[in-house]
Order: sequence, then structure tokens, then C-alpha cells
Amino acid sequence: MDRLEEELKKALAREAPSDGFAERVAARAASAEKRVAVFPLPRWSMAVAATVLLGVGGGLAYREHRGEVAKEQVMQAMRITAVKLNHIQAHVREVRQ
Amino acid sequence: MTALGTTERVAFDFEGLVRAHQSMVFSLAYHFLHDREAAEEVAQEVFLALHRNLARIQSPEHAGFWLRKVAVQRAIDEGRRRRRRPVVALESVAEPSVKATTRDPLLGEVLRRLIATLAEGPRAVMILRYQEDLDPAEIADILEMPLGTVKSHLQRSLSLLREKLERRGLGEI
Repeated sequence: MDRLEEELKKALAREAPSDGFAERVAARAASAEKRVAVFPLPRWSMAVAATVLLGVGGGLAYREHRGEVAKEQVMQAMRITAVKLNHIQAHVREVRQ
Repeated sequence: MTALGTTERVAFDFEGLVRAHQSMVFSLAYHFLHDREAAEEVAQEVFLALHRNLARIQSPEHAGFWLRKVAVQRAIDEGRRRRRRPVVALESVAEPSVKATTRDPLLGEVLRRLIATLAEGPRAVMILRYQEDLDPAEIADILEMPLGTVKSHLQRSLSLLREKLERRGLGEI
């Protein structure tokens, strides 16, 4: 090991974190444990719940979309019928005159 | 070698592991990020990850290996997140007013700052080599890097440091 390497070892020597580091870590670990104890569901159950919610939400949105499409089709049919009726009515008037 | 088994032993051993490895984990992050506050946050996150994974730890030696590996990974992630790789541009490193001796604390600071300007791969290799005194094979194992790449990073980084130091009038090192 040459001089540069020796100086690097000195420069990169381990340093201690600030006082109370271990206590702060222990407190955060204890706090994390409490959160797990309050809400002890496994992660996969959260994923399943999210999937079900998405599925139900998606289904409802699709049903609403289909309803809107059907409504628009009925309205379009009524508009066509009204135009045809107007046309026939005008034709009848012409014949009578 | 003691396996960590029951809940009581895990609780006891966790605090023991924190005390035993806090300097190692903190220093890996500090030398990588060159920022004490960020290093402390990273070190805390590393130990919290250890706490969540205690069941997988097989021995105190395994804990040490695991902590080194996760500390380096987290430091790299934090460095990327903060986009502060060139914490201090090489050109802005203070020029010593007089030629530094090997005991000069300025030299240590210059070296730490030069290390902080290396790309993340070579930086991690250099820190593991000179902070942790690991040999290239151990470094390759921790960083999951080919042994040849580790050796190449070491050689190139040392050459680069020599060159930079020479430019700053510290070429006698």
C-alpha cells in the first residue's frame, strides 16, 4: 500500500453519527411496529382489495357508459322519426291543396 | 456465530446490531454523499430495513454483509434522487495555500471531496476499499460487479486522484 492509499484510509476512516443515533433508530422501529400492530393486514390483502375496488369501479363506469350510448341511440332515432313525420306531413298538405 | 431466532432475541440483537454497525453504515453513506444530514437519514433507513428483514438474517456476520450492501445501495439511490453527484465540482476544491503534509487535515478533506466527485461505481468501490478495507473480491460480491471491473475502477480512480493532487501541488503523495 503506497502513501496515497494510506492517506485515503485515513481520510475515509469511519466516523460516528451524531449522539443518540441508536435511540432514534430504535424509536422509529418501535413506531413502525405499532403501525403494523394497529393495521396488521398483510400486503397482498391490500393488493386484492385495490384490485376488487378497481374492478367494481370499472364495471360501474362501463355500465354508465353503455347507458349513455343507449340513451343517445334512442334520441337519434326520435330525431330521425321527427324529421320523417315532418316530411310526410308536408307531403299530405301538398296533396290536399 | 449466533442465529437470530426468537422475538426476544431479535429485539435485543437489533439494538446491538445498530450500536455495532452504526459507524460503518453512517460512514458509507457520508463518504458517498458528503452530507452528514443526508447520511444520517440514509443510515436510519438502512437500519429500519434491517428491522423489517431481521427474520432473514442468519448470523451477526450476515447482518454486517447485508448492512454494507444495503447501505451502499441506499446511498447510491439517494445520490441519484438528489442529483447531486458532483456535490463539489473538482475545480472548486480549495487550493491549499501551502504544501500539505500527510497529517494536514486539509489533505483528508481534499481527498474526501475528490472521492465525492467520482462516478457512483468507482466511488462505491473506493469507499469500500479504503473505509472498509475490503479486498476486490469482497467488493465485487457486495456490489454484484465483475472482479475485473472492481480492479479497473480502483486503478483508474487512484490514477485520477494522483493526477488531481499533482495539479494541486500535492503530488508528493
